[in-house]
Amino acid sequence: MRRDYACAAAGLALAAAYWLAADALPRSALSDGVGAGGVPKLLALLLAAVSILITLRRNPQVETPKNPMRALGVAGLGFAYVAIVPFTGYLVGLALLAGSSALYYGARGRTVAWFAVASAALLWLVFAKALGVALPA
Amino acid sequence: MNELGLAWNALTSGWAVPAAFAGVAWGIVGGALPGISPSIAMALLLPFTHGMDPVTAIVLLASVYVGAEYGGSIPAILIRTPGTNAAAATVIDGFEMQRRGRGGEALGISLVSGLVGGLFGLLVLALATGALARVALAFTPPAYFALGVLGLSAVAGLSGRSLSKGLMAATLGLMIATIGTDPVSGVPRFGFDSPDLLGGIRPIVIMVGLFAVTELMVQAVEPDWEKPRSARLKLPDWPTWKRLARPQAIGAAIGTIEGATPGAGGTVAAFLAYNEARRWSRKPEEFGQGSVEGVAAPECANNAVTATALVPLLGLGIPGSNSAAILLGGLLLHGLTPGPMLFVNNPEVVYGLYAGLLVANLAMLLLGLAILGPCLWLVSRPKPYLMAFILALVVSGVYAIDASLFDVAVALGAGVLGYALRSLGVPQLPLVLGVVLGFMVESNYRRALVISGGSHAVFVQDPVALGLLVAAAALIAYSLRRR
Repeated sequence: MRRDYACAAAGLALAAAYWLAADALPRSALSDGVGAGGVPKLLALLLAAVSILITLRRNPQVETPKNPMRALGVAGLGFAYVAIVPFTGYLVGLALLAGSSALYYGARGRTVAWFAVASAALLWLVFAKALGVALPA
Repeated sequence: MNELGLAWNALTSGWAVPAAFAGVAWGIVGGALPGISPSIAMALLLPFTHGMDPVTAIVLLASVYVGAEYGGSIPAILIRTPGTNAAAATVIDGFEMQRRGRGGEALGISLVSGLVGGLFGLLVLALATGALARVALAFTPPAYFALGVLGLSAVAGLSGRSLSKGLMAATLGLMIATIGTDPVSGVPRFGFDSPDLLGGIRPIVIMVGLFAVTELMVQAVEPDWEKPRSARLKLPDWPTWKRLARPQAIGAAIGTIEGATPGAGGTVAAFLAYNEARRWSRKPEEFGQGSVEGVAAPECANNAVTATALVPLLGLGIPGSNSAAILLGGLLLHGLTPGPMLFVNNPEVVYGLYAGLLVANLAMLLLGLAILGPCLWLVSRPKPYLMAFILALVVSGVYAIDASLFDVAVALGAGVLGYALRSLGVPQLPLVLGVVLGFMVESNYRRALVISGGSHAVFVQDPVALGLLVAAAALIAYSLRRR
């Protein structure tokens, strides 16, 4: 029940922020009667209404997530890759991502290094050579 | 008979058959790579078709589309990552089957259902192009709006145990779809002055984040999953075939209609087919728990779309999807103008394409059998390495869509959002539906009001729109009654 209240509170906060952002949109001379903010305001009202509905209805129990900080660490590794790849280039950056995430998931030993290099090389061959994608230099 | 002769000649006199096999193989690999959509896989081949004869070139491109739609289901089933937008619905029961050691069976059902859908769509394309094209031609902005509403009505059936949380997720998806330039006035919205957000957020980026990144996060704290019991593809046995007949029929019918409707596409078809298959199933309680019907219906639908999506392109010259637009580029590259005159001026291309699609669908069965074995082997590898490789693949695939690190960050952010939603018991699929349909609903709602001078009566005065809205209301009422 407490998480339902948290969900509803987050929904209401988002609805309010989204309404304010929609209300601040500039009015264009090319605009129609609805305007650029018309549909977003409608969606903000809908989100607020649904959020209130969540608190009024009895929702099924939800399983408590296990160790959420560890789960968020995976996304953290991804964001770290986004931050460093413009400096390291694709091959080095991806090898670092593959190696560090394998360690994070529980792999150990020298195989991790081989895996990191092989993964980066394989994906570079697929995307850069076979598909012709211009990867981060 | 002349048409059959043209088709046979196209198959036997040129390189159409090898092109169909090569296109399907390329498509399966491209579709199986998260982030490489069918249209991207086709676009990458487009420059290489320049020196080919027109029939070979068009068959090659269309075969990539066929292969990619099937290929998208492989990672959807094996690693909970839809390789294409349209495979998102396959994740629900396909991955559940995989978790229960029935991955080979799920892949076999996906393969044969894709073949059934593809062949049915091709039959409709060949026999009823003119009639279906006329249906699509009758669609006006009010009708497109109503079509979007019909798609959104599936939320009632996709919300799991809490309808209010499903509605919240769908609203969030519609909100995400409003990011970018306003479709009518051109005003930039919710972009925080970032040039990366001017064009909006691609649904595939959100989907990869919600499905793949969220799953990678969840797996970081979960024990190792059960390895596939079968190392080989398992085609359905006779009792399963009989059970699949109904969802396949539903999938083929919905895929045919949605494919012929510009803008609807395989994703909407797959979700609608999934929802309808559950609605008409004798065992609806199995949906979401690894139902064979839940794999068959969307796979049949999205493969039927690969053929019928060509109806408005060939009949009217209107590309109804990204993939059809790439095919349009292929036709123009060879000096061919799609539309009714194509049937008069270049019938060999039209009927050669039909024959090529037939070969492509059969090639999909043969190549699918060969490629699925290694896929099952892949998912049996040690989990830490598999998860790490998938993360590397996801960031590379998302980057490849538009050579944008910003997209990678958005996908990772969508993953965090998906994890938060899952923790709060909010279903993710309605959000995906909102993201996919948001632009279509808003832009056509406002265009319709511009045409009508602001009167909402236009939505009930247009007979097609009225029919679709009544159908949407009936679907919602039926879903609520079934709860």
